Amino acid sequence: MIEVFRSLFAPPRHFILLIAALWIGLALAEKRSERHGVSKEQLNNLTFNSLIAYVIGGRLLFALSNFSAFSQSPFSIFSPNPDLFDPMSGLVAAILVGLIYGQRQKLRLWGTLDALTPIFAMLAIGLHLAHLAAGTAFGSPTSLPWGIDLWNAVRHPTQLYELLASLLIFGWLWSRKADSPSGLLFLHFAALTAGARLFLEAFRGDSILILGGLRLAQIVAWAILLIVFIASESVRRQSQSL
Amino acid sequence: MNSTQRRITYALVLLLGLAWTFVSADKTGISTAGQIPAPQAGFLAPDFELKTLEGGTVKLSDLRGQAVLVNLWATWCPPCRAEMPAIQKIYNEYKEQGFVVLAVNMTYQDTFANIAPFVEEYGLTFPILLDETASVGPAYQLRSLPSSFFIDRDGIIREVVIGGPMAEALLRTRVEEILK
Repeated sequence: MIEVFRSLFAPPRHFILLIAALWIGLALAEKRSERHGVSKEQLNNLTFNSLIAYVIGGRLLFALSNFSAFSQSPFSIFSPNPDLFDPMSGLVAAILVGLIYGQRQKLRLWGTLDALTPIFAMLAIGLHLAHLAAGTAFGSPTSLPWGIDLWNAVRHPTQLYELLASLLIFGWLWSRKADSPSGLLFLHFAALTAGARLFLEAFRGDSILILGGLRLAQIVAWAILLIVFIASESVRRQSQSL
Repeated sequence: MNSTQRRITYALVLLLGLAWTFVSADKTGISTAGQIPAPQAGFLAPDFELKTLEGGTVKLSDLRGQAVLVNLWATWCPPCRAEMPAIQKIYNEYKEQGFVVLAVNMTYQDTFANIAPFVEEYGLTFPILLDETASVGPAYQLRSLPSSFFIDRDGIIREVVIGGPMAEALLRTRVEEILK
């Protein structure tokens, strides 16, 4: 079954999964955006503008950081090849454009992040499905009976672990009542996602190791957890003082 | 949950997280690189030995110490055709620095008679290898044509590009990476 799925969505078709996740996430987010003080139109515009910024920013900053390669073939900047892309730069560009749009529309930060949370949660599901299809984010070798045969070894199915975690996170967030202070929905999503990554990274076979074998992703996830806990307390205090 | 209980929970979660980070650290520093041959970034490139169009043979592992682009292609594949001039151009630019292109024709899915005219049409000067018995395609888990594997001087795959055509800038950035 996994092999059929991997054949069906083998790269570069795995991008379909991400696009589908974004579309479903946006459709779901639209249903509840009004309760967070964001109209459907604002949500759509914010998502669309950020998406465009992600694509253009990721390509432009990749080109700038590889200037000598692009200066010899400048038309490569228009290539449809998705490998000419820096995802982190794209993300920074998307956040910047989102912040500018939000400020112009006078959107509240925490309410807007709550409104966007279904999109983030669905994108996480899409990302893990894409990882499963591409065989990336693979696990370390294991002798456990549920190991999957991948890259010439039986490995922890880390893509499935992470997919299951993201499905549970989405299910829990979607079933929550809308009575918590503004911002907590997003912060809970961030905490649960960081917590899941911190735990599941231990089973990955492609971790970046630092300082005598510590896994970089776990340290980043731990730092995110710390920031989220501090932010949660701040959000609660603000809501109590109102 | 009141404020104190919540803060205790946060502290416990952070402590557990920290403990798990240390417990699950990979103290041996083992990575996938160089251990298991597999067609994925970070792994040793699966070895192969194939006949060339001129009748010689090329073995991938004999090229250790050089940066290698293994490009899987076929004459009927439009993106394969589209990227060949860029590959040839980059090969000309970097071959003196130890860059090698192995253009592996999926002969078992192609028409042998079309290969030589194709090579002539595009003026290709790098080795054209013939996968007549479906040995390389399955070993590299071929799902789309073209597929390109950028292999560093230690024989480790550093980048995989599935589909095409590859832009010249993409080729240049990846080749410069594997030549380091």
